[in-house]
Amino acid sequence: MKRFSTLLFAWTALALLATLSAPVATAQKASDPQHKLRLDFNRWHDYGELQQDMKLMASTWPEFLTYSSLGKSYGGRDITMITINNPKTGPELEKPAMYIEANVHGNEIQGSEVSLYTIWYLMENYGKSEMITRLVDERVFYIIPTVNPDGRQYFFEDTGGGARTGHVPVDDDNDGLYEEDPPNDLNGNGIRDQIRKYVPGEGNYRLSREDDRMLEPVPAGEKGDWVLLGSEGLDDDGDGRVDEDGPGGYDPNRNWASDWQPNYIQGGSMDYPFQLPTARAVNDFLISHPNIAGVQSYHNSGGMILRGPGAEWQGVYPREDVAVYDELGKEGERMLPYYDYIVLWSGLYTVHGGFIDWTNDGLGILSFSNELWNGGQYFNSPKLQEQQRDEDNPIAGQQGSYYFDDYLEFGTQYSEWTAFDHPTFGKVELGGWSKMRGRIPPRFMNEELSHRNMAFTLYQADQMPKMQIHKPVVEKVADDVYRVRVDIENDRIAPTITQRGAENNAVDPDLLMLSGRNAEVISAGWVANKFRPDATDLIDQHDLKRIMIRNGHPGRTTRTIEYLVRGSGDITIAYESLKGGDVKTTATLK
Amino acid sequence: MHTQASLSRLDSSDRRDPRLISWIPVVSMTFALLLGAFAIPKDLSQEFPDYHSYDELTAKLKGFAKANPTLARLQSTGKTLGGRDIWMMEIGNSTGTPIGDRPAVLIAANFEGNQVGTSEIALSTISYLLDNYATNDAVKKSLDNQAFYFFPRVNPDGAEKMFAPLQTGTSTNSSPYDDDNDGRTDEDAPEDLNKDGLITLMRVPDPSGLYMVDPLDARLMKKADPKKGESGTYSIYWEGTDNDGDGFYNEDAVGGTDINRNFQHEYPYYQRGAGLHMVSERESRAVLDFVIARRNIAAVLVYGPNDNLISAPNSKGELAKAEGINLFSFAEASLSEAGKVGMFSTQTQQFFGGGGGGGGSASPSGGGGRRPATTVATADLDYYTTISKKYVELTGIKNAPALSTPVGAFFQYGYFQYGVPSFSTPGWGLTPAAADSAKSDSGSKGKDGSGSDDKPSFDKKLADWMDGAGIDGFAAWKAFTHPTLGSVEIGGFKPYEAVNPPMSVITEMAPKNGEFAVYLSTLLADVNIAKTEVINHGGGVYRIKAEVENAGFLPTSTSHGVTSRSVKPTMVQLGIDPEALLSGSAKTSFFQALDGSGTRQKFEWLIKGKKGDEIELKVVAQKGGTDIKTVRLQ
Repeated sequence: MKRFSTLLFAWTALALLATLSAPVATAQKASDPQHKLRLDFNRWHDYGELQQDMKLMASTWPEFLTYSSLGKSYGGRDITMITINNPKTGPELEKPAMYIEANVHGNEIQGSEVSLYTIWYLMENYGKSEMITRLVDERVFYIIPTVNPDGRQYFFEDTGGGARTGHVPVDDDNDGLYEEDPPNDLNGNGIRDQIRKYVPGEGNYRLSREDDRMLEPVPAGEKGDWVLLGSEGLDDDGDGRVDEDGPGGYDPNRNWASDWQPNYIQGGSMDYPFQLPTARAVNDFLISHPNIAGVQSYHNSGGMILRGPGAEWQGVYPREDVAVYDELGKEGERMLPYYDYIVLWSGLYTVHGGFIDWTNDGLGILSFSNELWNGGQYFNSPKLQEQQRDEDNPIAGQQGSYYFDDYLEFGTQYSEWTAFDHPTFGKVELGGWSKMRGRIPPRFMNEELSHRNMAFTLYQADQMPKMQIHKPVVEKVADDVYRVRVDIENDRIAPTITQRGAENNAVDPDLLMLSGRNAEVISAGWVANKFRPDATDLIDQHDLKRIMIRNGHPGRTTRTIEYLVRGSGDITIAYESLKGGDVKTTATLK
Repeated sequence: MHTQASLSRLDSSDRRDPRLISWIPVVSMTFALLLGAFAIPKDLSQEFPDYHSYDELTAKLKGFAKANPTLARLQSTGKTLGGRDIWMMEIGNSTGTPIGDRPAVLIAANFEGNQVGTSEIALSTISYLLDNYATNDAVKKSLDNQAFYFFPRVNPDGAEKMFAPLQTGTSTNSSPYDDDNDGRTDEDAPEDLNKDGLITLMRVPDPSGLYMVDPLDARLMKKADPKKGESGTYSIYWEGTDNDGDGFYNEDAVGGTDINRNFQHEYPYYQRGAGLHMVSERESRAVLDFVIARRNIAAVLVYGPNDNLISAPNSKGELAKAEGINLFSFAEASLSEAGKVGMFSTQTQQFFGGGGGGGGSASPSGGGGRRPATTVATADLDYYTTISKKYVELTGIKNAPALSTPVGAFFQYGYFQYGVPSFSTPGWGLTPAAADSAKSDSGSKGKDGSGSDDKPSFDKKLADWMDGAGIDGFAAWKAFTHPTLGSVEIGGFKPYEAVNPPMSVITEMAPKNGEFAVYLSTLLADVNIAKTEVINHGGGVYRIKAEVENAGFLPTSTSHGVTSRSVKPTMVQLGIDPEALLSGSAKTSFFQALDGSGTRQKFEWLIKGKKGDEIELKVVAQKGGTDIKTVRLQ
């Protein structure tokens, strides 16, 4: 009877629920799930709009998100961050953290949208996707959509289409004046156009016969009608030269403290590491958050999953670290079509004093840098690819760009050549490609870019170390003396401390602690294989109640520690790891 | 339990060790009590009665500025963690050309906390300049036309330890640092076990030890050489106990970073005392920010334990090998493994699956791109040799006191990255007593057949110098019962006496160091427009010719300054509208480097103008001053 009534109640409840949730069910017939917050990811956000969306998310999910500033740029803009942490699963600093940043180069903008998308996706899917829920519960995320706010804003509101730099003033032309001859937007179209000049019979370019919007180099021995005079600008300071000292003039990604080199070896490195306020603010943050176990710094472009070292003379990473990077990187190649997993110096170019070299070598953090967007993604039609490879056609490569602009972007990414009377160059024409193409995907393709790159970064976050400690096995071996064996496990790919991090003393060692009111540790050692009796590798340290494990716990490994303990009563065995979390277990000596 | 405050490697508190957490306050309180309540065994400041504590230094510098308002100005370039100012004193006649537009010499001292003597030498040089301005023509000329920037004490927190009752001799600053990376900061400092107010050494009879008594001097120790049939019978440690029970003695003292190992050239990555990274310290940043903002600094002189003046760089541009105090390096070597404890094999465990191979791995091959220079450029060597020769002639110093190998040293930054002639000298020397000197110099095998062919060690030279000069700088070995090591002897060079001269030596050297500083300032490039000429070609077309001369001794840039692009090219600019320029040199021209001693560079412009026009011609040499001339078209 009782069972029957329970069943009846359940049926009634179910029916009631069905009625109540009817409108929801209707809405979910469409593909798009119910969102708590709608944001657009097929557009670009200037600095202010980024802040707006970050604040909006922080107020939508206040139980998880914190909006804060790491410090200010030279231009006085805050370097803002969203922290994702579920306080119910433990304090922030006790959980391994994934650090995600973007836009260190002012013109490499789309990583900021990937960052926004990541925050939004994690929050929207918390409680819906089991994997996302577990990630948010197990990990902490520090997400900084732009670490170069001045550079970003310059890209959007000024002529800084190609400017990697930040905006600390540098005297580029050695005349004692700073930033006195920047590029100028002469025709006011918001783009730094190219300048071409018509010089009949004296030039080295001619109009393409296939498409007169294009210039092609003239073959040897022939004369053309056009010359190219560089990018749009004026001789602002009257020194006889055009655009020789614009804003900044350095590379914010060469100001870091591993293999930092002076300017003549590494251009744009500034005078010393962390001289730039942005680099210093970020480094101060990283140093005070040793729980950070993964780094991703989004750049553009080329379609690469980069890791260090940045320079050949730094040698190769230790074998153990390479194995971890390789496994993550190769998985990334599967997740990101058009992207290759590459070592910086051998696959891209040499970088001294780069960010991910410092985080890997100086802070012991597994670090990747994705170069977002591969130009090949414009041309995923085989016919267009074939057309581009026509060796007889000097403008074959360009034609693809025009094709894409004409048929898929409806001509919005190209400004036609228009006449202009230049004070230094005379009658010229201005025109060319928009700053929003080339290194940046077409807007309609950015959501896919954001999602795939986020997926790779979340995979890295999931594979950060996570320590577990199993139930001890206690065996009495003599009067008052017990053998205690404990399995300690890290089931993820990454170790708690990289080999490089350990070699450089960049990470505090993991600690294996045994405590008990009445417990004396006679010996401790690693068991080679608990299923096959063999010698125990004794640990030669003075304080066996606090064993230091300098190179941490490897990935996907279970180690068995064997103690001989004299004493009685309860003991606690704890494993504490800055990057792998703290775990502990108890046993009774009896 | 982690807390935010205790996680950082830079934090002074201790991580995860309940035993230590309870231990530290007790010990510091005990120390405090000891310092406060008990009389010090003897007045230790006796050895250096005239050395200046931070407060005395500050008062002295303020006094200089007050007494010489037109010649001396004091500025704080930053504060240390201990709240002390990093003082910079500018010396130069403030009337006339603005100081920032003159070529200047930077003189800096006391980067290493224990090198307080070098700070006194800097003070004596300032005194020399101020005291002699009125009466000495060379000094007057120097302060009227050039300038000096003095950092007499870059590391005041470290230096102040010399004036503490317990003489530790530490060279670092006061930034907390986990030297052995065991997750605990500053937890195993030395202790004054025998209560003589000094941190010296312990030598411990040990059949597996590496050291033996030096046959030339029973006070000293040497490393046994098994190839000569010698066996080690002693281990050597810093004086103290193993506070954290890790088997190492005194491996994590209070502080810090050695500021002269914290700069960017040949930085000793991840080594003891080098700091977390290049320019990680307030002191190094203060000095750098200052010199970067004052590119008129045309030469650097550091008083400290590196030398390229007593011995000039050799023909390959390499520095002479530095000889330091062996006893100290023996003790330091006992700590070398402390940061390596707990490295376990990563291969013997149970893996659940393999990682991939190949793929992104780098294929090592030759090349690797351009490397930074580490030797003085051939074209700059003659300048170094000339200046070194003059230094030895002026000061008479032949034997340097204890030196260290420069890695991350400021004076090396001065040349290799800042691009100016840059020097370092202790500023004093060990002048051996005549008899000992003869003995040391002979270097031959003992005539009586009993002697070894060992050359005297640096320690022997130092001990002999102390004996000859009547300096009580060696604490005789005395037996002591150590709580864990048992019977040991405590003794060795006294921490500050070992590396600092008595005030009498500094006073005696003061005019010589002063004279050298003035000499150096007179060598700087001195760029001027030596000649101008205007030719009227008719029709409003004029030709302007000019010759720019460097009347100094040094070039406008070292050769390496050009290579490293750290010295700006000299700019020659004609003050006309760009449209008036018809032909010839550019409106703004640059040249890389102009040798000194009257070398000239010619310029020629063809311009459009009218009779009576006045045109300004300007030459700006970053390291050689500015000159402006007006030419009139006629």
